[in-house]
Amino acid sequence: MKKIALLILAGIGYTMALAQEPVVLTGDELFGSLKARQIGPALMSGRITDLAGHPTNARIIYAGTAGGGVWKSADGGSTFTSIFDDYAQSIGTIAIDPGNPDQVIWVGTGETWTRNSTSVGDGLYKSVDGGVNWQKVGFAKSERISSIQINPTNSDEVYVGVLGPLWGTSDERGVYKTTDGGQTWERVLAGDNHVGCSDLIMDMHNPQVLYAAFWEFGRTAWGFNSGGDKSALYKSTDGGKTWAKIHNGLPTGKLGRFAIALAPSDSKILYAAVEAEKDKGLYRSDDAGASWEYLNKDFNLVVRPFYFSRIVVDPRNPDVLIKAGLFGSISKDGGKTFKQLGSMHADMHDAWFDINDSDRFYAGTDGGVYRTWDGGSNMEMVNNLPVSQFYHVSVDNAEPYNVYGGLQDNGSWFGPSASPGGIEARDWTSVGYGDGFRVYRHPQKDFVYSEMQGAEGVWRYDIKRNQTRDIKIFPVEGDPKLRFNWNAPLTLSPNNPDRVYIGSQFVHRSDDMGNNWQRISPDLTTNDPAKQKQVESGGISRDNSGAENHCTIFTIAESPLDENIIWVGTDDGNVQLTQNGGQDWQNVTANISGLPKNTWCYHIEASSFNKGTAYAVFDGHTANDPTPYVYKTTDFGRTWKSIVTGDIYGFARNIQEDYVNEDLLFLGTEFGLYITMDGGTHWTKFTNNMPAAAVHYIALQPRTNDLVLATHGRGIIIIDDISPLREINQEVLNKKVHFFASKPFVMYEESGFGGGSNGNQFIGPNPTRNAKIAYYLKRRHTFGKMTMEVRDASGRKIIDLDPLKKRGVNIVTWDYRMPLPKMARGKTFAFSGFTSPRVPAGTYTVVMKKGKEEYQHTIELQYDPGAGIALADRKAQEEMVMKLYNMNQDLAYLVYQIDETIAYANKAQESSPKLKKTSSSLLSSLQELKETLVITTGDNYVGMAEKELREKIGDLYSVVTNNFYKPGNSQYANFAILDKALEEAKTQYSFIKNKELARLEKTASKYNLESMQVDTFEEFLKNYK
Amino acid sequence: MKLKLMQTTLALVLTSVMSFAQSADEIIANFFENTGGAEAWEALEGTKTKGTFKQQGMEIPVTEIKLKDGRSYTIYNFQGKEIVGQAFDGEVLWGHNFMSMEAEKKDDESTENFKREARDFPYSLFKYKDKGYQVELLGTETVEGAECFKLKLIKKPQLVDGQEVDNISYFYMDTENFVPIVVEQEIKSGEMKGKFIWVTFSDYQEVEGLYFPFAITQGIKDMGANAFTIQSIELNPAVDETIFSFPETTGEEPKDGDGN
Repeated sequence: MKKIALLILAGIGYTMALAQEPVVLTGDELFGSLKARQIGPALMSGRITDLAGHPTNARIIYAGTAGGGVWKSADGGSTFTSIFDDYAQSIGTIAIDPGNPDQVIWVGTGETWTRNSTSVGDGLYKSVDGGVNWQKVGFAKSERISSIQINPTNSDEVYVGVLGPLWGTSDERGVYKTTDGGQTWERVLAGDNHVGCSDLIMDMHNPQVLYAAFWEFGRTAWGFNSGGDKSALYKSTDGGKTWAKIHNGLPTGKLGRFAIALAPSDSKILYAAVEAEKDKGLYRSDDAGASWEYLNKDFNLVVRPFYFSRIVVDPRNPDVLIKAGLFGSISKDGGKTFKQLGSMHADMHDAWFDINDSDRFYAGTDGGVYRTWDGGSNMEMVNNLPVSQFYHVSVDNAEPYNVYGGLQDNGSWFGPSASPGGIEARDWTSVGYGDGFRVYRHPQKDFVYSEMQGAEGVWRYDIKRNQTRDIKIFPVEGDPKLRFNWNAPLTLSPNNPDRVYIGSQFVHRSDDMGNNWQRISPDLTTNDPAKQKQVESGGISRDNSGAENHCTIFTIAESPLDENIIWVGTDDGNVQLTQNGGQDWQNVTANISGLPKNTWCYHIEASSFNKGTAYAVFDGHTANDPTPYVYKTTDFGRTWKSIVTGDIYGFARNIQEDYVNEDLLFLGTEFGLYITMDGGTHWTKFTNNMPAAAVHYIALQPRTNDLVLATHGRGIIIIDDISPLREINQEVLNKKVHFFASKPFVMYEESGFGGGSNGNQFIGPNPTRNAKIAYYLKRRHTFGKMTMEVRDASGRKIIDLDPLKKRGVNIVTWDYRMPLPKMARGKTFAFSGFTSPRVPAGTYTVVMKKGKEEYQHTIELQYDPGAGIALADRKAQEEMVMKLYNMNQDLAYLVYQIDETIAYANKAQESSPKLKKTSSSLLSSLQELKETLVITTGDNYVGMAEKELREKIGDLYSVVTNNFYKPGNSQYANFAILDKALEEAKTQYSFIKNKELARLEKTASKYNLESMQVDTFEEFLKNYK
Repeated sequence: MKLKLMQTTLALVLTSVMSFAQSADEIIANFFENTGGAEAWEALEGTKTKGTFKQQGMEIPVTEIKLKDGRSYTIYNFQGKEIVGQAFDGEVLWGHNFMSMEAEKKDDESTENFKREARDFPYSLFKYKDKGYQVELLGTETVEGAECFKLKLIKKPQLVDGQEVDNISYFYMDTENFVPIVVEQEIKSGEMKGKFIWVTFSDYQEVEGLYFPFAITQGIKDMGANAFTIQSIELNPAVDETIFSFPETTGEEPKDGDGN
């Protein structure tokens, strides 16, 4: 004990020494029980960038994703689990060490399918324990790693292909080699400022032989280039010391991206899909790259090389190969002809053949992982990969509220934040085609607004009638060509329920739900013609999808305090403000210091505290600038202050102001969520069940205080009820214990029916409906006793709870229930006895004891206002519940007494033969009575015996307890029968006790046997298990 | 010895735990030293723990007997009846079927896996080398808001669907006092495979010179957990030797090891 006391003393000294310092806690130390709830969905899943498998165990498959990290399956692709939550979620490539496949896994971060919305990586990671723990082993500025090749005979010899940054120049590109397992690296083949290694393969039969594809490429916010003089294919036969171009037979001129593959079963056979000005298509070499034969230029082989440059060859048959593509296709004749794969989501990026059976393979698409059992004719989707890529999220005020959002290549959807049995695929409703972006519910009517890319479709969906009206804007007389962003800013007014805004280069406003539109601004962008040449975008392969549209409005925010104040941010860096509903606009961009010119204004948040206050978030990553930029103005944009600190990692996209505490702000960055509770002086990363996913948009539900995040790769993530954070300040942080205030808890009375998904389908967890007792602990409680109990208004103890003991915020839940009733002991269980009564609405006190200190906190419970049950009816129900509860316990005590009496009689019999007659008679009477009270034969399943009084009381008890209505007439009538039967049984036992037991005790005393001793009822309740 | 311990601890605490100098073995030694001393732990022959397990709103009284020789016996009480959750006599792992309330032997794989860890009393970390286990210090990590040493314990492989798989658990030892406050282990089979079991320990209290956690929670990491609250721990209990063995006759009422 002294040892522990010394330890505690040491801790106190430490605390005192730091007493004057402000308390600044990390997320791990502060957020405690506040946990993110990942609700998916997985029904549309998200973009898969890379697939890999275990070389000898067909059950183990890995999937890398565009924004959702790395997922592992140990059951042949039936189910997947995330194994890379804490690191950059954009994945370029995954490699399993063939020499140590159970332990060593390498992950190169940074997707290499370089679409406009692609995220970024931050290096190369290695796990030496099968993916449980990860270590970054370099290439922090690489942004995109395309390939990892491991010598099968030497795990320390690894080659890495670095594609490098998409949005700017870098010389950290090329092929790198380590011979010490990743501790040191040597670049063995350099790229160029715009030329990186897009693919690297090793001949597994001769690890000295390597093939490397280099790609000249680059993006701006307004255009894309693929191709140039420096794209090339190289080969090394000496472990990377020397390299030679291998273009004999390949097209000449400017080249773009290559897809290359080596047949695992024949090292001489290579395939290459080549992006070229002429003779683009599929080439094959039968002499290990010495020469190439042009085979095929099918659409699926040449379409969008930046997105689909992947060839996978059957490990057993060199003539069977799959080419990624818009639909994906397979050749079984060595590449001469291709057949489209079976129906699956468009945009296939990779495939993985089962190691034992080529009829089975996996495909990664923009809509998740698919698997086939018949060589690709039929493709079946994996239903539990919640890697959906939301661009936006909004919420309504329904109970439970719904979330709305649009996704990359997966349309627009809404679904509930809670659903009986969990949030399943069937709970989600489709409200838009194509790429989905911003989706809103009309604040009062059953309409949903949604859009597709570039506002090519803008819809008002009537939920009740299942009707859709396209409300997109057309140019009118005098309009120039309207420029809409790929992710066009559709938004609603917080003041006028029928008002809708959408931005092109102009702000368009409708006051009749999109039926009619009015232009309320001039061109608010820089209107730079040099950034409007999208028709030329793409490089060698023209690619004018609309994804590069630029000089557009990207964010519109009407002040919640004044409908005439409207803030606008543009993708080319302007911040514009009107204070008279659009009559006059003021460009306030020049007032922002420290912001590079033309930095994309990603979001403006108009404050709900002050008309002149707004937050602006700028994202420079499309200009190769990863810096987060977040500014606040309190004077209508005249001055701006940066609220970014060094705590924030990754560029930022969105900010959400709290509705109650203006110093509480939530910031979405490319690597997760940051929270400040002091207006931006300090930021803390939130990591509790929150992956390092890109947070594109944030909503705050005003009734529940739930923070709802649109992640671009991990679906919708909710942090339920952030209200405790509103109270966090230095005073609270310095208290030993602080209970957070809570709104009254509603005891919802919903059906428990629901849930139809099987174990292989993703189900989003529900929020708790229980009371949440939230408190802050300055230190983690480890030594000594700590208890928590709930007392009613009279001070009577209701139930013990289990206190949590973390440092930081702890949330203990209580389901409003009392302890289970003590049930009579029988041969079997009375399942009805596993029901607890719910307490009445009212005020309850939580008492927490921590060592010698006691803390109290009051909570309020309310009945479900939506249940439509009159208070008198509730009281009638509660009264009967407690009567039945007590009857269960009375019966339990009666049976206990009978059992004790039986034991006494048996003991008497054993103590003297002369007591046998009296005790036998007593035993007979007791047994006869007991058999009417509890089941004495059978089992707990279908061998169950006829119900006796215990089961009958229990049945009525459990039914009445789980209803909240006034009991019906049959319940009252049945209650009367049971009450009478119990009283009769008690009377009968008293009779037996007073007559037969008394007779036995009297006789037994002559044989030195003491009278029977039984617990009092109170003792029984305490001691009975 | 006590002074030495205090100095060590103060140094650790006041330097905000510049503790990478600590080796895994030192951390483990400190843990056993701070909780009663290695000799006292070595002398411990068995424990009988009584407590309450909470699950789905139910409070289930539990009695658990664990002996140094690997035998163990756990019973639950429901409505005055006792159910053997799990018992092991060194060879046979068995328990009661909840429906029939009859004793049934566990499958071969479960029994073999149990047998491989039967010598983990009082802790798997205790004299781990003698058991052929390995321990690595992975660094420090904050769990439950407290800075902890993260130890990786590698035990003998377990069998999962006929295949031997790694048996690795992670111990998070509070850097202030070296006691484990969390143990984490990957689930290798069933619907939850790939997720992690997350066990927390708190309310360490003294029992005849040894410190035990009196509050334990167990659940899936980042999901809900069930609490096991201990009311009493008896050291070196006298036990009915017959309770551990699989009962060959059916319908026999289980014994609670109390003799009552």
